[in-house]
Amino acid sequence: MKQLNYAIYMMMVITLFTTSCKDNIQDASGSTADISASREMVAELTSPPNVPRSVGRRKAKKLIVNMEILEEEGTMTDGTTYNYWTFGGSVPGSFIRTRVGDEVEFTLSNHPDNKLPHNIDLHAVTGPGGGATSSFVAPGHEKKFNFKTLNPGLYVYHCATAPVGMHIANGMYGLILVEPEGGLPQVDKEYYIMQGDFYTKGENGDPGLQAFDMRKAVDEDADYVVFNGSVGALTGDNAITANVGETVRLYVGNGGPNLVSSFHVIGEIFDKVHVEGGSTINENVQTTLIPAGGASIVEFRVDVPGTFIIVDHSIFRAFNKGALGMLKVSGEENKDIYSGVVQEGIYHPEGGGIQEMPEDDKPVEAPKEAKTLAEKMESGKQIYMNTCFACHQAEGQGIPNAFPPLAKSDYLNADVNRAISIILKGKTGEITVNGAKYNSVMTRQAISNSDIADVLTYVYNSWGNNKTNVTTSQVDQVKSGH
Amino acid sequence: MKSFKNILLLFLFVLIHVSCNNSSSKKAIDDLVIYQCPMKCEVDKTYNHTGSCPICKMDLKSIAKPSDKIVDSDEISDESIFNLTTTWNTEEKETIVLEDLKGKTLVIVMIYTTCKAACPRLVADMRNIEAKIPKDKLNNLQFVLVSIDPDTDTSKRLKAFAIENEMDGEQWTFLQGTEASVREFANVLAVKYKEISPMDFSHSNIISVFNSGGELMHQQEGLGVDNKETVSKILELI
Amino acid sequence: MKSILRLTICLLFFWITNANCQSKMATIKGGSYIPLYGRDSLQVTIADFQMDVFPVTNKEYLKFVNDYPKWKRSQVKKLFAEGNYLIDWKSDIELGDSQSLQAPITNVSWFAANDYCKCQNKRLATIDEWEYVAMANKELPDARKLENYNAYILSWYEKPKTFNNDIGSTFKNYWNVYDLHGLVWEWTSDFNSVLISGESRKDVDNDSNLFCGSAAIGATDLMNYAAFMRYAIRGSLKAKYTMRNLGFRCVKDIIKKNEEF
Repeated sequence: MKQLNYAIYMMMVITLFTTSCKDNIQDASGSTADISASREMVAELTSPPNVPRSVGRRKAKKLIVNMEILEEEGTMTDGTTYNYWTFGGSVPGSFIRTRVGDEVEFTLSNHPDNKLPHNIDLHAVTGPGGGATSSFVAPGHEKKFNFKTLNPGLYVYHCATAPVGMHIANGMYGLILVEPEGGLPQVDKEYYIMQGDFYTKGENGDPGLQAFDMRKAVDEDADYVVFNGSVGALTGDNAITANVGETVRLYVGNGGPNLVSSFHVIGEIFDKVHVEGGSTINENVQTTLIPAGGASIVEFRVDVPGTFIIVDHSIFRAFNKGALGMLKVSGEENKDIYSGVVQEGIYHPEGGGIQEMPEDDKPVEAPKEAKTLAEKMESGKQIYMNTCFACHQAEGQGIPNAFPPLAKSDYLNADVNRAISIILKGKTGEITVNGAKYNSVMTRQAISNSDIADVLTYVYNSWGNNKTNVTTSQVDQVKSGH
Repeated sequence: MKSFKNILLLFLFVLIHVSCNNSSSKKAIDDLVIYQCPMKCEVDKTYNHTGSCPICKMDLKSIAKPSDKIVDSDEISDESIFNLTTTWNTEEKETIVLEDLKGKTLVIVMIYTTCKAACPRLVADMRNIEAKIPKDKLNNLQFVLVSIDPDTDTSKRLKAFAIENEMDGEQWTFLQGTEASVREFANVLAVKYKEISPMDFSHSNIISVFNSGGELMHQQEGLGVDNKETVSKILELI
Repeated sequence: MKSILRLTICLLFFWITNANCQSKMATIKGGSYIPLYGRDSLQVTIADFQMDVFPVTNKEYLKFVNDYPKWKRSQVKKLFAEGNYLIDWKSDIELGDSQSLQAPITNVSWFAANDYCKCQNKRLATIDEWEYVAMANKELPDARKLENYNAYILSWYEKPKTFNNDIGSTFKNYWNVYDLHGLVWEWTSDFNSVLISGESRKDVDNDSNLFCGSAAIGATDLMNYAAFMRYAIRGSLKAKYTMRNLGFRCVKDIIKKNEEF
């Protein structure tokens, strides 16, 4: 009996010893180039802002990626369209998720309706051109090449056909993630965001189909700086969502072509930042730099509900060029972490002056004949989306504790002339709207009288307001008289 | 006596069956036939014997070599360069059509004789390939150098070039065409070229290998490139 | 008697107009210019020649495949045309439903275009000749410096599906030639003289391993993006490729002795 026990005991010790040694030996041997890929798998490609499933614990495989290039017209902002050149039909292009050691078989197809040849340079590729030399493809044709992912990290891919700046500026960029062995640690929500700058013949907001402007691109004078290819791609109904208590990971890229991003989420701090998409992890970061042609992975836990605005903190880009997105978090409040307004009282400041918006050079002539209500609504809606939306939001709901709502607003419906004079002159100081107090500054808006009439008509005839039809002459009266 | 006869009979019987007729004929057939995994798990890898695929474990299936089919029939396939009917002058002052080269594996490159920069290196690359082919197989191989500059490179000039570069043997052929036929031929090979001054051309450096039926089998692009793949492809075809 | 005379005259007219069924050509007076991708001596001289006013149409090509059945889709050799050859046609001799007879022919390879021109006793234009005629706008023979000229071309690059429009739908240029811009790309006889590797960041460096010849591979004017893209398309093509946005037209040399043209 004793012999048996002894034997079992010895066997256990020996097996323990040998298996642990084996692990060490395995780790020490070979670089990532030696990882062998077993069977095949077709990659799941997703459109922004979604990402494919994590690689988890799977082994390195032969990964088949089929990417199609489409040149098609899309909406940049309300009333403005642009001809985008896309990977997979979206700007940014489809998200590719791989594991270190995967042998990727990449097929690039150029749709026959396209006019131009394209190729692809993936920053995850170790090889000439990042694949660009081997993927130059004319419309109606496809090319295949293979590469092995050697380094984990988050990488940009983009078209590299001359003129490269133009191809990138038209939207040909995306992200490819190479996860380390075992995959990145699990989180609750993952999203894909990519910033890009756009250069158009017209100015920001000019209506109609806008063409690409090479001169502005060379001068780095962007008209639109947006997340995911258009103004409003991540706002309103398109906002990304999470629940209180969840961990959120954002895969953020910057396609450029020119501008570097100062990425920040208002009201949140990044618990972890994979600096420049690599292996170094920085913690407790407010704003992180994402180089043009680079990426970053940010992770944070959301602790309180609300709408958290995602911006490029080069702040004029956020409010005047469209670099604004939203993360809507729902769930229970936590007054200890953030309480909202606790108390307010009277204070006599000296300042609080009203700032002025820059004035347009060309005066816009009001049309002589009266517009129908439908025409005013349409024009008013466009003006609203260009001028008022940023603060008062798409459905006039405003932002609590910041900007008063226009929807079913008692303050608005009480006095039309007061509303007109607010747009003309601005407003400062405390007001009460629908029972809530607001103490903020609204700048005067430099738009023509007929535009004021149109936008107010739109607002009064939407969202449960009193359906007043404001005329240009009313506005003229308020402007001259009073 | 009887037992002795029986033993002798037995001995002969055994002898007959032991002598290897079956296995040897099988072996001869095996030499001619090549085998490949039907799922093409290893892409183009082929074997000279039966067995099973190391990846998917399926039995290897026999496939016929592509060149076998063509040499026997007189048909030219759709993809063959022998479909080009233009005439060419060789350095021996003969006029041929490309189909006259049918039957041998062809290694073709496009050069011009006044080239100072890359063409000497391209020629050296060709010679390196020749050196790696076993002498007894050279009969099945033809190295063809087509001139991009037909105005300058007449038969006489091509012959002089051949002698200068020690390429006067049977296995080397130089061709002069017309501007139009050269442009057409270059397009078939996907060779790009441009005249940049009266004596100078810019052209892509590509060595192309065709089987005896004139179908393009392999291309090697660049100078001084590792010609291992090209050589193995040629050896497969001849 | 009178009616027979009238009938004869009518028939004569009819026959004359149809006998001239060869497409109209315009005479281009030669000259010199510096092309975007040129030679070491930069200036290129073009001799006088004639160019088709319009690109070859579906109707004209239909007649061609009926006259020369070896170019019918089911009979064409794979060496000369890849799988997409005339892919949008319903059959060997029928156009696709959405195609019009007067739209430019597309999805044909260089070998097909070359043969078509040869059968008409014409040829494809060289890149230098094509670009020479294409640099004109309505008034000037050389409009490359004008911003709106380049803007027009660049805006065409972003317009989808122009290959379905009829010939003559763009503008008539200084040489009375239509549709060099705004309709389809066009084959040229020496399109394979554009030596770019497809890795455009490297193309500014002379990779002497890929291309023999050290001179003048770079572009002369990097701001000429409109022309740049045409060269990029040419560099991406192989002769047997076909493309939905690629057609062609023919040109003819002028033999000075004959004064019949």
